[in-house]
Amino acid sequence: MTWFLRQVTAVTVKELKQLRRDPVSLLLTILFPIMLISIFIALNAVFSAPSYNIAVGVVDLDNTPASKALMDRLATSSVVHVTEIYQDEEQAFAAVNNGQVVGSIIIPKGFGNALAQGQAFIITDTDNSKITSSGLILGELQAQSSDLLLKNTESGNQLGVKNLQVEVIWRPISGRPVTTGDPYLPGLLGMIILLGAFDDIVNAICRERERGTFPRLILTPTSLLAIYTGKMAATVVLTIIRTAVMLVILRATGMIIRGSIPLVFLTTALIATFTLSTGLVISSRIRSSATLTFLEIAMTFPLLYLAGVWSAPLMLDPTGKFISLSLPWTYGNDALRRIMFLGLGLNSPSVSGDLFILLASTLILLPVALVLSKRTM
Amino acid sequence: MTFVSDTVAVARNELYRFRRSRSAILISLFIIPLFFTFSLVAGSGGAVTSYSPTADIPIAFVDNDNTLASLRLLQTLASSKDFHRIIQSYNEQSAIAELGSKKIYAVIVVPKGFQNNLVNGNEARITLYTDDSEPGMSAQIDSTLTIYVQRFNGNLEFQPILTPLQESSTSGVEMLELGCLCGAFNIGLTVVLAVVQIFACFYEIAGGIAHQRETGTFARLLITPMQTGSIILGITIFDVVLSTIRTFIVLGLSMFVYGASPNTDLGTILILSLLIALVTMGLGFAVAAFRVGTRAVVIMEFFLVLFLFAFSGLWVDVELLVGITRIMAYILPFTYAYDALKRTILLGIPLLLLTTDLEVLVGSIIILFGLSYFLFHHSREKLAS
Repeated sequence: MTWFLRQVTAVTVKELKQLRRDPVSLLLTILFPIMLISIFIALNAVFSAPSYNIAVGVVDLDNTPASKALMDRLATSSVVHVTEIYQDEEQAFAAVNNGQVVGSIIIPKGFGNALAQGQAFIITDTDNSKITSSGLILGELQAQSSDLLLKNTESGNQLGVKNLQVEVIWRPISGRPVTTGDPYLPGLLGMIILLGAFDDIVNAICRERERGTFPRLILTPTSLLAIYTGKMAATVVLTIIRTAVMLVILRATGMIIRGSIPLVFLTTALIATFTLSTGLVISSRIRSSATLTFLEIAMTFPLLYLAGVWSAPLMLDPTGKFISLSLPWTYGNDALRRIMFLGLGLNSPSVSGDLFILLASTLILLPVALVLSKRTM
Repeated sequence: MTFVSDTVAVARNELYRFRRSRSAILISLFIIPLFFTFSLVAGSGGAVTSYSPTADIPIAFVDNDNTLASLRLLQTLASSKDFHRIIQSYNEQSAIAELGSKKIYAVIVVPKGFQNNLVNGNEARITLYTDDSEPGMSAQIDSTLTIYVQRFNGNLEFQPILTPLQESSTSGVEMLELGCLCGAFNIGLTVVLAVVQIFACFYEIAGGIAHQRETGTFARLLITPMQTGSIILGITIFDVVLSTIRTFIVLGLSMFVYGASPNTDLGTILILSLLIALVTMGLGFAVAAFRVGTRAVVIMEFFLVLFLFAFSGLWVDVELLVGITRIMAYILPFTYAYDALKRTILLGIPLLLLTTDLEVLVGSIIILFGLSYFLFHHSREKLAS
């Protein structure tokens, strides 16, 4: 047993030393999580920005105090920036088509009278190829016109028209602000672990094969089981380092991690081990390390959607939902979210269920992966 | 004449090499286009299929009012196309306690006095508790629920079906939207087309040259009397052929299998797709001139695509970026390429009207290929060593 452990430790140390000597792999291991999280933080800042300057044009065909009040509100809005006041609709539509403005707002004739009766409408023409910007324009217009309905004092009388029959009061159970990007961060950690572990296996198997050092390793008295266990142990060590780095970054960006930190490490280690098994299976068919890395990168972007990082699996199209729920990574990411975001532990059936699925998938795949990998030596 | 025949020879050689590599054919023409297109379908559904993202989410409904109005609200929601899995619950606390367990993801609570408020003309309120650990789900449930309750009339047994105009208005002032409707699939198609070309072309050019260098065949090519221009042009022609095939694969699958309907003709899409490919090829040649290895190319590609996703309008509209990120977006030629792709495919704007986008794209291609030629020409000996 001691002899076996010594062999495993030797292989693990060898793997870590090899990584340290390979600047490109080291770059990918260290820089990749930092870069991915930095880009996400930059994007998150965009979505939670207090103000935007989205260019819009306005046409006031009504010229009443009500329409002027709406124009004033738009002019002082923190979301849209009125760059042009057009004389007619045609000019406004042309400006959207030419890309001069993202949207045009046309206040029709009779707007003031209709507003007093609670039956007003506004015409908008937005460049819907810019889906977020046009959505923000419409949202701002809704908010400003809603405010106008309640507060507009025409002829000294408040209109006081009610917006909604029923108001929805939204209370998230985490108690966190609804506009933060925090629910996405645990999934992002899961993806970083996935990619890191996949790259580890590319290094551990394919590159070793390409360098010709694998046969030499097998010819040593080290048992095959110790070689594979050592390689997996190296991945687990790297996963622990990656997780620790990520947790520090997440904490520095203001995310409050509620659950048990050791449980986060356990979950990422399970994600890494499953990824390792998948990598072993794939590397038994695809021998080139560059091709494998290319595949790894190609699958990153679809997996952001399908492994429940950007979107909850239940919200996907039926095919997408099926694929998503068939991927063990989805359960890993889900467990990370529940632990880090909601503060749930192993006593929660949802977390233990997720971890069980991940563990079971690994236990099924790992022996298959080892057999396939052994055959390709 | 020699230049032309050399160029053709290089292009032909590249095609022969490609034809002999089963994995190259698989990755370049099948895995990348199909993988990304299928992922788009899996994420957003096809263009002709419609599904509600909230339809399959189990949601508890707790009625503390127990009146005709609250019952009608339950019926309205349960019979809608957006809430297929409404579960009636009798205890507010136990329903809320189930959140986070994955049995239910939201709880709608109708408080006591709901009907009274409606009858008296006061604003009635309902409370929505959500499991906000699921990305994007809480906001989606909230906005969909708001659409149903905003005009809810407790006196009517059946609520009138809202027109799209009414659905889009939550302010009491209706919004008549004239902008072209862009389906999620069509928007996704523009992203897929751009990403597939960037992904594949960068790897084929920079990765291809790096691989040839590693196997020693590029050195042999460089010591022939062939001009640098012939080599670059020959490889470019070969990759343009592949890019054309890829464009048709993505478009064919999207249009004929998943019902996408671009608002422009195929020629325009092909031209734009090839312009994106050419910009990427120019960048690929410039990178390859620095003698990078295949693995380094792949890693660079990852960072490139990640960077472009964030800062070229693929994910976030350029208009929303601020400070240095917006400056970066305006420097990147891919921003203009993607803008042109969206404006033609989604809005149907003729290509020739997009003069700024086209000028930037053509200019970038000339600059990148010029730079690549310069780098290759001056480091030819080093590349051959």
